[in-house]
Amino acid sequence: MRTAAELELDLDVFSGPFDLLLTLVLREEVDLLEVDLAEVVLAYLDHLEARGELDLEVATEFLVLIAALLELKSRLMLPREEEDELDLEAGEAAEELLARMLENHRYRGAAAYLHERLAAESGHRYRAAPLPPELRRITIDHAPGGAYEPDVLGAALGSLLRAPPPVDTRHLVAPRVSVAERLAQLRSLLRRGSFSFDEAVAGADRVTVAVTLFALLELYKQGEATWEQAEPFGPIAVKGRDPAREGAA
Amino acid sequence: MNALQRTVEALLFLAPQPVSLEDLATSTQAEQHEVFKAVGDLREHYDYEGRGLVVREVAGGYTLATHPDAEPAARRLLAKPRTPPLTPAQAETLAIVAYLQPVSRPEIARIRGVNSESATATLLERGVIEEAGRSQFGAVLYRTTALFLKLFGLQSVKELPDVAQWDPSPEEQAELRDRLLRAGEARAATPTSG
Repeated sequence: MRTAAELELDLDVFSGPFDLLLTLVLREEVDLLEVDLAEVVLAYLDHLEARGELDLEVATEFLVLIAALLELKSRLMLPREEEDELDLEAGEAAEELLARMLENHRYRGAAAYLHERLAAESGHRYRAAPLPPELRRITIDHAPGGAYEPDVLGAALGSLLRAPPPVDTRHLVAPRVSVAERLAQLRSLLRRGSFSFDEAVAGADRVTVAVTLFALLELYKQGEATWEQAEPFGPIAVKGRDPAREGAA
Repeated sequence: MNALQRTVEALLFLAPQPVSLEDLATSTQAEQHEVFKAVGDLREHYDYEGRGLVVREVAGGYTLATHPDAEPAARRLLAKPRTPPLTPAQAETLAIVAYLQPVSRPEIARIRGVNSESATATLLERGVIEEAGRSQFGAVLYRTTALFLKLFGLQSVKELPDVAQWDPSPEEQAELRDRLLRAGEARAATPTSG
């Protein structure tokens, strides 16, 4: 069976099969920040199109892998949280593993018991032959409810053969706002100094707010801007960063 | 043997499946306590006379079975063992189904830590487990069958011993936890080594 791991990639920093990339990223030999995950997704879509069929199992595997990579990458991109959270997770992981090992141990014991019990019972045999049809109280021919009537079967099949109504997609609209547009707007705001995120999206709809957030992340990735948020849901203050000056410091 | 005992013996000989006390009472038109006594007497009678059959109480009813003394000869007559022994994977899967039923295959795989597809398929084929509807997430659920009870000589799954008896002792658990935590620390100390 073909798997997501067979996907061949040709990215700026890496070219090779997808599972090798995964291994390298996990072993930190390729910097995840340098890998453009959008390219991976595009390559995968091309790969799917070339094959002309959708194998759900493989597609799911890919989704899980790419989601894990995205999470890893977004953690790397955001300012580092306090380190002791990691220790806690390691402890929790050990506890979780322990709980699973204990559960497994328990059913291994139960399995050994069943094994012995079956061996101890092996001396007894039961009648294997069913009762002859003429002695049965109910036979298939006389089954209640007429389940074997041809027209009952026909009616049941008929409803399956009818085509379902087409799905109405009129409520779906193409997005009208692009990351490039929002980037341009954020950069123009940055040129005038610092600003708050609310200012940048004043009066905008939800999609625009989301796309603006992506644009802001892109600015952070490029080292053009940084931001501060004092508390959850509080105002986000965005200010420019001079890469040349920071590089010299 | 009295008339009721003879009738009960005849019914058990005829029935392909274990017969419940209620069914025996209805068909013999006797009281349940009378049938209960007749079955007990029949069992003692077989035992006392050293017969080739025994009366067994399995899967919620009574049934006739061969005496283990006849097993070697039965094996030669029938040419193949009655039930091949369970592989370790099958025994583990069956244990999980027996104790946690109804249980889904993903849950079995989670507990065993490995894919249990083929073990589940074999147990289904051998008729010791069967499908029992679907979980809220759409996975097929499994439960044990009457054949399972017959093969393992059980009245019902409630007769299975408490599963907690196979848990490791608190000392073993503590040692396991220590070893896991040490392994975690060793890994954390050398984050760049793969």
